Amino acid sequence: MSERYKNRVELLQGTLDLLILQTLMWGPQHGYGVSQAIRANSGDLLQVDAGSLYPALHRLEKQKWIGADWKISENNQEVKVYRLTAAGRKQLMKERSRWEQISDAIGGVLNPAKKESAS
Amino acid sequence: MRLSWLWRKREKELEKEIQHHLRMAEEEREERGASSHEARAGARREFGNVGLVKEVTRDTWGWRWLENLYEDLRYGFRALGKNKGFAAIAILTLALGIGANTAIFSLIDAVLLRAIPVRDASQLVVAQWRAHKEPNNHNTMGYGDCEDVHENSLRGYCSFSEPFYKEIRAQEGVFSSLAAFAGGDRLDLSENGAASTVEGAEYVSGNYFETLGVQPALGRLITSGDDSPTATAVAVLSYNYWRSRFGGAPSVVGKNILLNKIPFTIIGVAEPRFDSLSPGNALQMWIPLSALPQLNQLNQPWDNREVDPLSWWLVLVGRLQPGTPRAQAQAAVSTIFHNAMTSGAKPIFKTEDDPAITLTPVEQGLTGNRTESSTPLYVLMLAVGIVLLIACANVAGLMLARATSRQKEMAVRFALGASRGRILRQLLTESLMLSLAGGALGILFASWCDVSIVTFLNSGDNGSPLFSPSIDSRVLFFTAVVSILTGVLFGLAPALRGLRVDLTPALKEGAGSSSQTVRARKVRMNPGNSLVVAQVALSIVVLAGAGLLVRTLQNLKNLDPGFDTRNILTFSLNPTLIGYKSADTDNMYGELRSRLSAIPGVVSVSYSWTALLGGGRWSTSFHLHGNRKEEESNSDVLPVGPDFFQTMRIPLLAGREFSALDFATAQTIAAAEAAERAAAAAKLKPGVKPAASQAQTADLPARPAIVNQAFARKYFPKGNVIGQRFGKEAANPETGEDKNPGWEIVGVVADARYDKLRREVKPTTYVPNCGGSVAFALRTQTDPEKFVPRIRAMVSQLDSNLPVYNIRTESQQIDRQILKERLIARLSGFFGMLALLLACIGLYGLISYEVARRTREIGIRTALGAGKREVLRLVLSQGMRLTLVGTVVGLGLALGLTQYTKNLLFGVKAADPVTYVAVTLLLVGVTLAASYVPARRATRVDPVVALRHE
Repeated sequence: MSERYKNRVELLQGTLDLLILQTLMWGPQHGYGVSQAIRANSGDLLQVDAGSLYPALHRLEKQKWIGADWKISENNQEVKVYRLTAAGRKQLMKERSRWEQISDAIGGVLNPAKKESAS
Repeated sequence: MRLSWLWRKREKELEKEIQHHLRMAEEEREERGASSHEARAGARREFGNVGLVKEVTRDTWGWRWLENLYEDLRYGFRALGKNKGFAAIAILTLALGIGANTAIFSLIDAVLLRAIPVRDASQLVVAQWRAHKEPNNHNTMGYGDCEDVHENSLRGYCSFSEPFYKEIRAQEGVFSSLAAFAGGDRLDLSENGAASTVEGAEYVSGNYFETLGVQPALGRLITSGDDSPTATAVAVLSYNYWRSRFGGAPSVVGKNILLNKIPFTIIGVAEPRFDSLSPGNALQMWIPLSALPQLNQLNQPWDNREVDPLSWWLVLVGRLQPGTPRAQAQAAVSTIFHNAMTSGAKPIFKTEDDPAITLTPVEQGLTGNRTESSTPLYVLMLAVGIVLLIACANVAGLMLARATSRQKEMAVRFALGASRGRILRQLLTESLMLSLAGGALGILFASWCDVSIVTFLNSGDNGSPLFSPSIDSRVLFFTAVVSILTGVLFGLAPALRGLRVDLTPALKEGAGSSSQTVRARKVRMNPGNSLVVAQVALSIVVLAGAGLLVRTLQNLKNLDPGFDTRNILTFSLNPTLIGYKSADTDNMYGELRSRLSAIPGVVSVSYSWTALLGGGRWSTSFHLHGNRKEEESNSDVLPVGPDFFQTMRIPLLAGREFSALDFATAQTIAAAEAAERAAAAAKLKPGVKPAASQAQTADLPARPAIVNQAFARKYFPKGNVIGQRFGKEAANPETGEDKNPGWEIVGVVADARYDKLRREVKPTTYVPNCGGSVAFALRTQTDPEKFVPRIRAMVSQLDSNLPVYNIRTESQQIDRQILKERLIARLSGFFGMLALLLACIGLYGLISYEVARRTREIGIRTALGAGKREVLRLVLSQGMRLTLVGTVVGLGLALGLTQYTKNLLFGVKAADPVTYVAVTLLLVGVTLAASYVPARRATRVDPVVALRHE
């Protein structure tokens, strides 16, 4: 049962990290917020399930690329809010340029004339 | 627990985070118009399995193993707590097994493994010589620092002459320093008028401590400046001696003491960990070699040994020069040795004797007490190792039985998705908890054992203990490793079995139901049976070994030493230590003898050079008339006082005991010989002119001697022994001729043991004692220990400065001699009983379990008319089958393994049938009893209850 999640996490890993870091670039956000932002910004195409999201958030936190603070929400609930750290920002730049390279490379191979716009 | 607090906090945070996620998703759905119920369900569905999300998230924390461990531990505690009886028996069993191993290992650690406490021991070497013949020297003396090679065609030891030491030391470029030592001797110590003895005083060269790299704990140690004839006499104390004799007072430095009546100054105390270079040879004091001649210590042939190349008594320890390989140093020393041995007017060795010298690292070369103790220790280690195996088998059997009752639990865990690895880990955690708890308790048991062993070793003896076992870090490490291995060993099989669960039947039906039982009987009982067989077999091995050692002890105890050991008290005196001359000594002994004889209850009094069975021995080679010149005969020699044979009750077979005239003759000869030796010594010493006139010993009458039967049989097989003469100690080294007229036999006595019970009686010559130190022997009518205060009072009346030491009855003397055998017999007997007990518990457990499991079957049998006898036989036969198989296997194993005890046995063979039969009977009897109890229970099974049971 846990096999299923593991495979998916692995498939998405690099990309999901990139997406999370990019999402937090726009400001601190809690876990649900991150998932909703990715969903909205991908035009409902990318749905990150909780079984991938939370392990990724906790892993990034452990790697010190994102930090976490506890805040109290309007309905008096404790909320864990993630924010990008300086190291995370650097990591984001690295990942972005890597992604762009790969994306360009794949695009070039597939069809030099046509351009895909998924983001 | 901090860790669990941190853990719980993170757990709670994750929970909050997820709850928040769900709430937000819910709210959003509600905003979009869903009912609250739909919203909640939708949010949940979208989120997925909360538990699983939590788990995969937790995985990223990298604490997974810790979490599992924590869970396993908690679970284990709960599982064991549920079954306290099982846990208690398992832990106790393991504690006994592991504790016994820890105790014996701590002995091995103390005797065999503890490193020699010096700086950079790998650079230290000890010199040892080998040759095909005894050296043609005056004497070779040793204190047991290294192995005494005495094989058919090989002789060897590690003592050398002082001139040879100086010769090598002068050699450049071999050693960075070369030290010499000899000891420990007994010295008489007096301080502020109080007399006592130093049990182990070692004579060391000035560079000894510097060469070894030993530091002082207080004051300073002996240096080269102290080792000179003109220096003030100084002494260094061992740390333990300083604590026990001087109360650890720092003011001891600079204190003046008298050693053998000669003033010495204490200059310091050695560091605590250094009490001897040779293991198990604890010393109390070190004094410079240069102080030795003043000490008057060894008056007899050794008095000029510092210049005599024919007196070998020093152990040489060198520190190799950095960069000089041992082989190179050895080659350099060999050349010197070979030249020194084979050259000169009268060479010590001939070239064909192939004299050789080797330099051995001190840790291998200086064996001290190691060699002697290693065999019994390894045998004991083997025994306790087997006991631990039995304990493992025992606990494994318990775990197996328990695994059956836990099948349902395991099945539930499997069904809930636990992986095999996870369950295996859980089960192993449980067994490790048991074994570590057992190990912890075992350490307590081991320290109790150590205390008992030390108490036993020190009982009735005031000498310093040979070794002091203690639970140090190495022992603790050993225990930890053994505990973990034990846990894995006994836990693995049941755990693997626990994994082989067929889910459906296990869940569906309760334990003990019929369909399961049938299957179980085929599969499950096999490991249980083989565990009991293994326990029985291993117990036989331990019991057989213990039986042989106990028989050895009995043989030694029942051995007739050739004299009456009952009601004999011995004590030692050494008046030469306080300056008595030979003639005064003899007078004093005579006076003391007559005073002691006057005590009511004292039957007779005599003395000898050393007490019989006291461990000391003097043997000599002599020339037998009619033999070729080179051919030497050997005899043990014991100088004795008047009425010795009568006092010891050694039967006189022919001739007479020594008369007063015999003693007078012996004294005259001794005086003449002393004069001769003094002259010879003067010749060797540079700058002293030899005395003009020498006493002519050849003109003296023959010295009277009494020989034992062994002597008469071997050297005078034709009989007619009385009046025969034979040569003296050795052929004259100068001329190669006999020292005439030698000894004349005046009597023959029955054979009696001399130094040791275990050493067979050799040809022995008894001669009249002249001067020197002696051991008095009193034969009393009643308990000889009552006479001790009277004796002390009488000796101090004669001379208040004269210490009395080694006061022992002859039976204590024997006990002391067989101390090692007694200890080994006692320990192995104890371990044998432990093994038997564990095997019985194992068998009892198995049979009880079987009876419980077969209640229904027994009920049916009873209902169908089986009588109590049949039921009893049914149950007992199973126990007996296992016992018999185990016994056969065990006897086979024992025959092989007891070969290792061969060197320890006395008067009994390793394959002693009596022992094996006795052990088998004992085991069969006890196991029969162990299975009888549950069998009785089986006969009381009520068929109605048993059948309704389901």
